[in-house]
Amino acid sequence: MRLPVFARAGVTAATVVAVGWATLWAAGHLAPPAGPEPARLAAAVPEVLASASAVPAPPRLAGLARRAAGPPAEQLAGLARRAAGPPAAQRQPIFRRSDIRRSSRGNLNADAREFFFTRAVYNSGYRWSSWATDYPKADRQFLIILERLIDLDAYEAENAVRLDDPNVRRFPFLYALEVGDMYMSEAEAEGLRDYLLAGGFLMIDDFWGTWEWANFESEIRRVLPEHPIVDIPLDHPIFNTVYNIEEIVQVPSIGNAQGGPTWERDGYEPQVKGIFDDDGRLMVIINWNTDIGDAWEWAESPYYPLRYSTYAIEITINIIVYAMSH
Amino acid sequence: MFEFLFKYRPLAFEEGVFAFRPTAATYVATLLVLAAAVVALRTYRQVRANSRPLDRGILTGIRLAVLALLVVCLWRPVLVLSQVEPQQNFLGILVDDSRSMQIADVEGESRADVIGRELGDESPLFSALRDRFAVRLFGFSSRTDRVGSMGELAHDGTRTDVGQALTRAWEELSGVPLSGLVLVTDGADNADGAIEETLLPLQAAGVPVFTVGLGREAYSQDIQISRVDTPRSVLRGAALVVDVVVAQTGYRGERVNLVVEDEGRIVADETVTLPADGEPTTVRVRFTAADAGPRLFTFRIAPQPDEMVTQNNEQNVLIVVEDTAEKVLYFEGEPRWEVKFLRRAVADDENLQLAVLQRTAENKFMRMGVESAEDLVGGFPRTRAELFEYRALILGGIEANHFTPDQLRMIADFVGERGGGLLMLGSRRSFAEGGYAGTPVADVLPVVIPEQAADDESRFFVETAVRPTRPGQTHPATQIAETEQASAARWLELPPITLVNAVRDVKPGATTLLTSDDESLVVLAFQRYGAGKALAFPIQDSWMWQMHVDIDVEDQTHETLWRRLLRWMVDGVPDQVVADVPAERVELDEPLTLGAEVDDANYEEINTSQVSAWITDPDDELFEVPMDWTADRDGEYQASLTPRKEGLYEVRVEATQDGELLGTDTTWVRVAPSDAEYYDSTRRTAFLERIADETGGRFYTADTIDGLADDIQTVGGGVTVIEERDLWDMPAVLLAFLLLVVGEWGYRRARGLA
Repeated sequence: MRLPVFARAGVTAATVVAVGWATLWAAGHLAPPAGPEPARLAAAVPEVLASASAVPAPPRLAGLARRAAGPPAEQLAGLARRAAGPPAAQRQPIFRRSDIRRSSRGNLNADAREFFFTRAVYNSGYRWSSWATDYPKADRQFLIILERLIDLDAYEAENAVRLDDPNVRRFPFLYALEVGDMYMSEAEAEGLRDYLLAGGFLMIDDFWGTWEWANFESEIRRVLPEHPIVDIPLDHPIFNTVYNIEEIVQVPSIGNAQGGPTWERDGYEPQVKGIFDDDGRLMVIINWNTDIGDAWEWAESPYYPLRYSTYAIEITINIIVYAMSH
Repeated sequence: MFEFLFKYRPLAFEEGVFAFRPTAATYVATLLVLAAAVVALRTYRQVRANSRPLDRGILTGIRLAVLALLVVCLWRPVLVLSQVEPQQNFLGILVDDSRSMQIADVEGESRADVIGRELGDESPLFSALRDRFAVRLFGFSSRTDRVGSMGELAHDGTRTDVGQALTRAWEELSGVPLSGLVLVTDGADNADGAIEETLLPLQAAGVPVFTVGLGREAYSQDIQISRVDTPRSVLRGAALVVDVVVAQTGYRGERVNLVVEDEGRIVADETVTLPADGEPTTVRVRFTAADAGPRLFTFRIAPQPDEMVTQNNEQNVLIVVEDTAEKVLYFEGEPRWEVKFLRRAVADDENLQLAVLQRTAENKFMRMGVESAEDLVGGFPRTRAELFEYRALILGGIEANHFTPDQLRMIADFVGERGGGLLMLGSRRSFAEGGYAGTPVADVLPVVIPEQAADDESRFFVETAVRPTRPGQTHPATQIAETEQASAARWLELPPITLVNAVRDVKPGATTLLTSDDESLVVLAFQRYGAGKALAFPIQDSWMWQMHVDIDVEDQTHETLWRRLLRWMVDGVPDQVVADVPAERVELDEPLTLGAEVDDANYEEINTSQVSAWITDPDDELFEVPMDWTADRDGEYQASLTPRKEGLYEVRVEATQDGELLGTDTTWVRVAPSDAEYYDSTRRTAFLERIADETGGRFYTADTIDGLADDIQTVGGGVTVIEERDLWDMPAVLLAFLLLVVGEWGYRRARGLA
């Protein structure tokens, strides 16, 4: 009689301990991992948040959803930063309009900002998260310079949104790079197509040579099959919106900036191409055989030539101002 | 009946003086009758028989009454009358010659037929009038002419001007002895002037006007389009919202279709449920003016079965559809998405030319959509002339400090004096947040700008859906769907937008069109300020209505909103030279006043410019009519033109100052007969009675017209003689005798006293 009682108590205790341990283990594994594979988290968390704030739910519901999904992006970012160090922490998207009924006397926040330097988060196949190249240092450094150069109400921090997230439509400017490794899901291609046709703008950067071009071309064909890719001549107004750009410079990566060839693979000649909509309005600007993002990222480095970072910053400002006005 | 019993018409008794004309024999006879009365009294007192005192009293009374009546007759009562002397006086007969006389509303007989029957050359009444007066016949409609006989009247005049007809007849007959004027009409006067002034000289001269009203006072079955309110000119592609007033009798509750045609092409078809009899209802129709130029729009309800007047089921209106590109300036203080999406929204609208001046950095500007390389090259306009070239101004995120005090004043004058449209968009640099409190621009805006702006540390931010107010549901600027209901519903479906400006109160007199979901914040409001209008639209991302994931990629709501909004802003904004023709249609040979208002480049009125109207008539002949300053108002010029051809006249007003062209403006006017005669064409009895009363005449209808000749003779003016008319031989007196005598006999029989 006594034994079964002890046995039962033992089994119960073991179960409690096991469940508790499993919960802790799961919590530990779902928390932001440190170091080597930051991209996976960044791709995972937006998904959770996106599901909570995808559809503009009634305010209260949105709040509930937010609570269910976890702390707001910035707080999450802060937590994550403490837990895992800066790089991973900064990969959380900022949803500036999801928090509807907050106090109107809230702190200075992202909500009221006009411009968000937004990275397109796309699926890059089995290898690695190519969308996060140079992220977020390049974004942040660029935003610091942007703030000084032009009168734009830009949010100071990085912002990354998945292409299949409905919230991408809140940010009419997108930056995507390393598109040689871009393998969009159907939902992403569809999301990007609607985004562009509704009036969104996409800046493509940092892919080199014919092989990467071929991949990008086949990917963008899935998005906009009916619109050809055309060269943008230097007399196009985009080269004069703020700064007068007279030549297209090949911006090398940090590794190639110290002298020697600036090209990578067979991408010898930098080119700026575009995709225009039916009314002749630019939707996508493609910077091929150049790495503008690296120039932002290393703009502070004494070893990175000023010529390249100046060009990188000038052309990006031109592109942003053009995208915001045409 | 009255005339049979009393020999004369009642009017004779009203006008005449009652008198006795006794002779010496009368007194003797009176004494004899009195004696007879005394004898009768005594006899009745003595006779007893089987009578009661009451019987005797009644019989005595009857007998005395008979005797009294006899005495009255013996005294020879007469009516002393001042009578118009036959054939010594003139009589003017004014007959309505307008089209409404053709309406057959009394037992299938037209009003003209009634005139022919009652007053035709062969009719007894006309013969009687001709026997007594020298009759002068006039036919009148928009003008008045002498006619020889009734048969000459065609009843095709397009207007009824009673006042003018009376004046004209009076002028012609004032030199001769005039007994009066007879006015034969339905009284459906559609001239502009008041009748009082016309009646004054007639009253002073003692000329009575006898009015004869024709037609019915109300139709049993009729539908009428009473009024159509349209603008005189619109921009091509404009969505017009037009109020049409429909009245009816006899078709209550029935559903009919109101069709709008643009030169024969149906552009709207609205089903109308007819209101109660005699109650006008307003129908709001919406259509688009797709083709440019002077366009004739027809508003029509198909004639219904058994309708009495079908000509009033239709109204034609000339609307000038302008095909100009109206210049709008959008000044934005920083790169903003609104610029991109607003430019895209109106890019396809050929009638809106949006110039954008965008600051990208301190003192660095980007210009888009400008006409020439020089436009706005120095930033925001520094002179009035430069700014006033635009018809509307949008201020985006640009702080008040950016402008000089003179520029702020200029922006206020742009609305107040130039008559332009101003719209301020929400942003961290507009309204209170942009430091506009206390500036001249704040005076212009329809909303109250608090002194204390939300500072950067406590930034105001609200995300809210938008809801139209009651005026916003029907206002042309906020129509974002095909119908009013669809538009109101669509507003509620649109995704939320954000505001960073706490704009809560509108000024008295301003109209709020859109509010936040909880109605605590103003989203769109406007007010008229001076000659122009000012709008506040304190949202910072209307582009979300284009980009949001809930908005279909093909959706046109954002485009429609901005086009309508900007078109409404530029609508009616004057140019330097404005041609002004008061009516869109005039009659042939009707003098037409051409007006023009002329301003200089600063929109200050000029009285010394050379202004001409270049007229192109329907046969494409061009001629010049010089216009002169009116001296009544600054900058106002006038000329007169009498069109001699039917059709469309083009009026191009051109003003020059010191050899330099100030501007031109073109408008059109059509010369065509009006259908006004068929509107409100029932008999207006009160109007005709008033004319008769105020001049001492009488009012008649077709049924009472027979006594007209006698009445005129009795109350008419001119050469008159005094007449005494015996009254003793009135059949009524004989009848009274007979009644009294037969009554007495009857009473006796009844009481068994015979």
